Amino acid sequence: MFSVILYGRNDSHGYNLHKRAAISFNALAEVMSDPDDEILFVDYNTPDDHPTFPEAIHDTLTDKAKKVMRILRVRPDQHAHLRPKTHLVALEAQSRNVALRRSNPRNRWILYTNTDMLLVPRNAEESLSSILGGLADGFYQVPRFEIPEMLWEAAFDRRDPAGNLAKLREWAVRFHLNQVVHNYMPMKYDALGDFQAALREDMFAIHGFNEDMILGWHCDSNLAARLALYRGRVDTLIDKVFGYHCDHTRVAAANNKGRATRMNDQDRFIWNVASPYVPAQAETWGWPDVEIEELRLDRDTAYQRFTAGLDKAIKPATAPFTGTSLEWQLFEDLTYDLPHTLPFVCDQMVTFPRSTAVMMVAARADFVTGFAAAWKGMGFTGPILIPEECEGLPGDLAGVERAPFAGQLPKADMFIFEFGLATQTATEPVRAGRAMAPLDKKRLRVVEKLFKRAATAEAETRPPARRVQRRFIGVNVIYNKFWTTFTDYVGANINPFCSQVLAGLPREDESLKGKVLRFRGRHAL
Amino acid sequence: MREQSAVRDERCEDPTKLANGDILQAVIAPLARLWRRSTTSAAVDLKPESAERHYRDGVLKVRGGDVDGALAEFDKALDRAPGFADAVLARAELLDGQGRCEAARGEYERARQLWSEMPAGAPDRRYLFRRRGHFAFEIEAYELVRANVRNKILPQLAHGNALLVRGRAAEALDSYERALRIRPNLPELLALKGEALSALGRYEEAIQAFDSVLAACPADVETLNGRGIACMALGKLAEANDDWRRQLDLLPQAQSSARACVAMRQGNNEAAFHSFGLSLAKEPANAYWLLYRLTAGRLTGAPRDPIAAPVGAQWPAPLLALHAGQATEEDVLARSDTPCQRTETLFQLGVVALAGNPAAARRHWEEVVERGAPALIEYAAARNQLARLGS
Repeated sequence: MFSVILYGRNDSHGYNLHKRAAISFNALAEVMSDPDDEILFVDYNTPDDHPTFPEAIHDTLTDKAKKVMRILRVRPDQHAHLRPKTHLVALEAQSRNVALRRSNPRNRWILYTNTDMLLVPRNAEESLSSILGGLADGFYQVPRFEIPEMLWEAAFDRRDPAGNLAKLREWAVRFHLNQVVHNYMPMKYDALGDFQAALREDMFAIHGFNEDMILGWHCDSNLAARLALYRGRVDTLIDKVFGYHCDHTRVAAANNKGRATRMNDQDRFIWNVASPYVPAQAETWGWPDVEIEELRLDRDTAYQRFTAGLDKAIKPATAPFTGTSLEWQLFEDLTYDLPHTLPFVCDQMVTFPRSTAVMMVAARADFVTGFAAAWKGMGFTGPILIPEECEGLPGDLAGVERAPFAGQLPKADMFIFEFGLATQTATEPVRAGRAMAPLDKKRLRVVEKLFKRAATAEAETRPPARRVQRRFIGVNVIYNKFWTTFTDYVGANINPFCSQVLAGLPREDESLKGKVLRFRGRHAL
Repeated sequence: MREQSAVRDERCEDPTKLANGDILQAVIAPLARLWRRSTTSAAVDLKPESAERHYRDGVLKVRGGDVDGALAEFDKALDRAPGFADAVLARAELLDGQGRCEAARGEYERARQLWSEMPAGAPDRRYLFRRRGHFAFEIEAYELVRANVRNKILPQLAHGNALLVRGRAAEALDSYERALRIRPNLPELLALKGEALSALGRYEEAIQAFDSVLAACPADVETLNGRGIACMALGKLAEANDDWRRQLDLLPQAQSSARACVAMRQGNNEAAFHSFGLSLAKEPANAYWLLYRLTAGRLTGAPRDPIAAPVGAQWPAPLLALHAGQATEEDVLARSDTPCQRTETLFQLGVVALAGNPAAARRHWEEVVERGAPALIEYAAARNQLARLGS
């Protein structure tokens, strides 16, 4: 019957976002009763190494919310062409249009709202699906009522949507929450974007939201203006549904700078709207030709993929614990525990697109074998690119491509550099003062040289269609002799030694030191 | 499912009438005559247009916080025009706000029902002609906006649209011209000005406005439609049909009902027959699509499908009954209550007569051209059929 369209990203937009959003997702799912109903959440521009926002809070969502939610992930690279034009990191019009294009065509209605809204049918026996199912064609809005922060934060149980809706029915009366804020036509109400129900067919006819609106605010008013023209009227559903907003102004959100807030031009996008249509984007709105990843919370989750991958690569531990040490005298010892390290390496990968091509430059053959098994087990379809310059590594593994380093550089979406000892065996003790063999030194010289060249040439070797920097993952680069090497070229956080892994983007250091490092890296000096 | 669409022309609506007010008129007319003997002012008050005045007074009272006064005005409006959905809704909102939720609930539903029963416009026409409603609320609301948000386009344009659909084309033209003073030559505004001029019968000026729009936006299908109507009104059949042919070329296949209507205007009955079939598959309850498919089928000589007996008495059921041989010419003419319905009836009488009595068909279609509104599909179709008959 209807597709709810929401957007956001895995960040901290406003006060206690996680609780607000969980309350809202669960409450929206609670008022759905048609098998075609869906919540479309566009996760816009979350960094590639993060899970999407709903994945990050999935444990606070009800089974029903997980079942009805489809997550459409817009990657930073897909947003990159808009980045110079806006100060915002998440774009409403683009997000909502991406979802509209991909919404269930069997659904008659599209409902635009936000991740802090609870919709309460006035008749507790009715679902929103049945309400919308009984409506004549039109464009419907409801006024937004505010819930003081204390109430939703203190009294709502995220996983009890029915209880939360019942509380709202009581609080509305007890605390006088229901105040309708009227507004000029075509807006009709204040905060109109928290409930705008339009026919899917109408949204396609008017070419969706106006994608020129990239500075934030007024997207809802623009939509109201255009749909009011198209439909002639803005109808109310106040007799059927009350909409409650979890107020979150204790902390200003990123798009709220008080009077200094940058906004889309009100005159252009509201008062001087002259047509329902946006013909300039008629063929392009919602990015119809862009492949948008879809994720679900009720199947094939990142956790399931992660564990499936590792189960292919490592056996369960046979001892209650193992040991290593970061004592300074062991700085030169490059042994590490592979089965312990591999989960932290995979953790860096699993949120990336499945089609990712990863370049693997490594010293240890068993690392490559283990990683390749995990990579495939996690469902990645992109190749593992291993430069021919790396000797002693298996070349016959499924999904592995061998070729000269220079040729592979422009094909890689991500890099892994592993600084282990080629001669380390599976049974020898870790960080016990082991010295490098000549073979280890030879292999590590190659790894180091290729690492520096890749990091310094990242920008100019980037695949032509790619707009954002590629990520570098360093394995066995904490508190050993390659720690400074790696962090000279890659802007990595400080990570616990136990993870063995650092990751980040190539540094863009314009200081003299940075320039010298880049020069040395390029020329492998 | 969508509500059943009818195909309405804004000029065919008697601007003094409100939908479903016809029965009321019949009831109150004798009363009004009685009243007129004693109290002239009261008698004048008992006209549907006075319903709009009471509605407007009610809206002003709502804005001033006088809820009881507003309710009284809306009651008066509804006494005069019980089908006045805008007043029904306004009353419902006031009752709801007073806590009389049970009473309000039924009124909200009633308003929606009344709107949904109103005829919608032809889907090949400009967006504003496709809607349902009285737009009394919108006229008042945008009047307020344009008084406060000065020198902006939207308030003038939206106000003009509401007026134009209500049949107040001269006032609509004034609103559009005000908007054009802010943004001269903006194609979207010129197009609306053209529609208002066309509605006023100023077809040459309308065509000039549409020409300007199409010079800037050659693929503007809605303006092609509008210019076609204005051309057809002036008897320029070839030009009109050219515009509609171009419109048909540009309309996506998915918009089958718009394609069907524009095909029917230009007398492209094969295309109309096909597209109305698609429209009917999407909206099986739409009696107009059934009627027009039968019409196009008859005009192309396609084998006739069995006609399902029309359900209910709602227009255009009598026309379907005519096709099914279950109603006579006299029956159908007697049930044609508005100029619009009469035009539709005359056109269908011509269609049914064509095979056996071409002279009768010609006579009916000539009457359509003589009396019908040029924006009606039947008007254009009749002109094209007459051209084929050699008149």
